[in-house]
Amino acid sequence: MVNYISNEPIKLLKMAEWEEVRRLNGILTQEKSIYLQIKEMIENDILRDILLEEERAPSTNELAKLYAINPATAGKGINLLVEEGILYKKRGIGMFVAAGAKQRIMAERKAHFYSDYVRSLMAEAKSLGITKQELIAMILQSEEGGLTDE
Amino acid sequence: MSKLIGKGIVKNYGGKAVLEDVDLELESGKIYGLIGRNGAGKTTLLSVLTAQNPATKGSVSFDGEPVWENPRVLEHLCFSRELNQLSGSNANTMKVKEYLEIAAAYLPHWDKKLAARLVKEFDLDVKKKICKLSKGMLSMVTILVALASKAEFTFLDEPVAGLDVVARERFYELLVEEFSETGRTFVISTHIIEEASDIFEEVIIVDKGRILLKENTQELLDRSFYISGHEREVDKAAAGLTLHHVEHMGRSKSAVVLLKPGQTIGEGYDVSVQRPSLQKVFVALCGNGTE
Repeated sequence: MVNYISNEPIKLLKMAEWEEVRRLNGILTQEKSIYLQIKEMIENDILRDILLEEERAPSTNELAKLYAINPATAGKGINLLVEEGILYKKRGIGMFVAAGAKQRIMAERKAHFYSDYVRSLMAEAKSLGITKQELIAMILQSEEGGLTDE
Repeated sequence: MSKLIGKGIVKNYGGKAVLEDVDLELESGKIYGLIGRNGAGKTTLLSVLTAQNPATKGSVSFDGEPVWENPRVLEHLCFSRELNQLSGSNANTMKVKEYLEIAAAYLPHWDKKLAARLVKEFDLDVKKKICKLSKGMLSMVTILVALASKAEFTFLDEPVAGLDVVARERFYELLVEEFSETGRTFVISTHIIEEASDIFEEVIIVDKGRILLKENTQELLDRSFYISGHEREVDKAAAGLTLHHVEHMGRSKSAVVLLKPGQTIGEGYDVSVQRPSLQKVFVALCGNGTE
């Protein structure tokens, strides 16, 4: 992929976390796949109101051209969104954002929030010897406008 | 659906084997990436597949018909070779315009309009002699011929080698655009693996005159892992696996593994597992240090 998608730093996963990811996602090996990134990008656009419900979504070919990826890969990402009811096909016109897509994405991400963020936060806190009280204090503090650096 | 099939291709140059018993099957409607080190035999393979160069042994067929000196088949193939400022040992004094006219005469599906559009877009001076062109301009002429050929199977040898980043991106865009519209098959050899890897539906790795691997790019990446950690832990986690590109630093050890069906990385060990890029997988397979 040329430039448009940032090269995320590769996430280092301990074997145990890796297994956890595998267990939770069902498919570990595709975690970083391009088509999942495409899927997430469209979801993000819907969450941020860049793409509105009942609006036409970018086509496979448009995505392929923009990100310099194989159209088959872009199509795979779009198909996933169709399967999840986020996009739907209007014959001869293209893909459209389904009504209620935004709510559905939010619900889906919320369901994964615990496994994706909270568990790894706890694991890191534990390895650093941060107590539960300290952690809660940090969360409250960050809500009040961020930690002041020591 | 058309297929180009090479069977048992051997190519010797003066007693030296450049290709050794290559079997390769290319399907229509795909973009293939051909990668390999310098001297691996990429260009020779492309020229044999497109009947620009006879094989010492073996056969190449297109939909069951032999490719060699067969105009019915050759009209579906285009190998846009890397252009050189030299023609033999002399300067290539042919003008770009003349070169394009020859291409148009030899390629029956030549798209005149597209050619004209690309000349404009690339800002090519067609009155210039080929020996006066910059590296980037030479690449652009090669790309122009490949795209405008409209051949069902189009082969490009190092098309982006002389191009700057902006031009390279434009090339990938044009390629994906043309592919989306027509579904033509493209086989592209390149050394700039990283930026093109997402365009390749399949990747073909050539090493020392042989096909080391031909696989769906995504599936290859999905089974490739980079393991690192304490040597002891890495050895346990990767027990029974073939380790590529093994590197040691103090007590640490790292390696790339390609899991085969049924294989897994051992669980419960204190190792880090990362996803390598296609470039890293390529170096791991074609470099040294396999255990």
